[in-house]
Amino acid sequence: MNEIWNDFMTYRSELIDGLGVSIRLALLTFAIGLPAGLLLAVASFSRSKAVRITAVVLVEIGRGTPALVMLQLVYYGIPVTLTGFLSAGIALALTTAAYTSEIIRGGLQAVPEAEIEAGQALGLKNFHIMRDIVIPQGLRIAIPPLLGFCIIIFQATSLAFTIAVPELLAQAKSIANVNFHYFNVFVIAGLLYAVITVPASLMTDRLERKMSRHLQMQ
Amino acid sequence: MRNSPAKATSPAIKLENVEKRFGDHVVLKQVSLTVDEGQVLALIGPSGAGKSTLLRCINLLERPTAGTITVDGVTVETDHKVSARELAALRSRVGMVFQSFNLFPHMTALRNIALPQQRVLGRSKEEAEERAHTLLKRVGLADKALQYPGRCSGGQQQRIAIARALALDPKVMLFDEPTSALDPELGLEVLKVMRELADEGMTMAIVTHEMQFARDVSDHLVVMSDGAITEEGDPQEIFAAPQQQRTRDFLRAVLDRR
Repeated sequence: MNEIWNDFMTYRSELIDGLGVSIRLALLTFAIGLPAGLLLAVASFSRSKAVRITAVVLVEIGRGTPALVMLQLVYYGIPVTLTGFLSAGIALALTTAAYTSEIIRGGLQAVPEAEIEAGQALGLKNFHIMRDIVIPQGLRIAIPPLLGFCIIIFQATSLAFTIAVPELLAQAKSIANVNFHYFNVFVIAGLLYAVITVPASLMTDRLERKMSRHLQMQ
Repeated sequence: MRNSPAKATSPAIKLENVEKRFGDHVVLKQVSLTVDEGQVLALIGPSGAGKSTLLRCINLLERPTAGTITVDGVTVETDHKVSARELAALRSRVGMVFQSFNLFPHMTALRNIALPQQRVLGRSKEEAEERAHTLLKRVGLADKALQYPGRCSGGQQQRIAIARALALDPKVMLFDEPTSALDPELGLEVLKVMRELADEGMTMAIVTHEMQFARDVSDHLVVMSDGAITEEGDPQEIFAAPQQQRTRDFLRAVLDRR
């Protein structure tokens, strides 16, 4: 225990910097991936068959490709030179968009058909029915599973160490390569991930319970 | 009985040979009917007769497979594709109240009534909310403006739904079993609002199982069974002396229960 603590104290600034990069990478991923996921979910309700098919194809490619493959593809595969950080953000965002679109679609589908019909009878345009009635309620339903998925993606940012992004796992690996305390350093890295994911999971659970109560009330 | 307005002769709703099929199954068989301006039409009949389907054809929530629908001078031929413009013109003239209220649960009563005005009529938020307050007062719910539907009783929700439809200044109002999901006591407060609306001269078409209401408030009664009109005419006369066996059977079944 003591040794682990000592290693942490020695390398804390590198490790915490790494955690910072991981968090920023996750935030970039969500900033691109979640709106794209919403867009794909809405597209799957389109009246145009071409739009619906395009959405399904994109989602299936995104879900079918392992995140690590996506990462290598964006970093090495496309003829535009991007920083590792940006490449990782884009690659993880593609995966995020594909998976979250399915989660959001489920939420949107849970909005009762009767409310959509009421909107039509009032003369609301489909765009307004989507924006004012279906999305606000559907997203609310989707929030707990979305947060759960965001936690998984936060952990998946560790894949970025394969393209030399100085995130937490990459920092831990380079420290361990120097002091050979592989066990200690990776335990510390794991704990630092947990500092974020455990409270986030607990919050998600609480939110989920609170929301299911709210829904029962109606 | 109430006084009909002077110009009671122009039809507010006119259905001509409206037909609705699902594959081989015919739900509505060439139904024609007319509701004059300011009139109240009651549609009664056994379940599965096609009453709700017919009502839902008037604002094209249900697309008829054939026939012509005219509301307040807007005519829609339903056997070819209905354009978005036709649909909007028709729906702007028709308000609808559903059996299950169908309020938007994530909005307060006030927003439920104001939002459609802003989106459909382009009213400002202030104007729309002012009108919403006026209408809430009119349906006896002035104090519920900031309440969410989930916190209101069924009777209150239905009255909010009526206010929401009225806020768009429709020419005709459709009611699809507006009290069927309510306890009798709560149904009464909804019927009271509907009766006031009728007295003010609103053109209304009501699908209902409230026989007494149909007899007392409507000007014209339509009895349906098996997707067709069995009998229609003056409500008092039909209730007193139904001409058709089907009507007699139906009225006996529903009235004996009371």
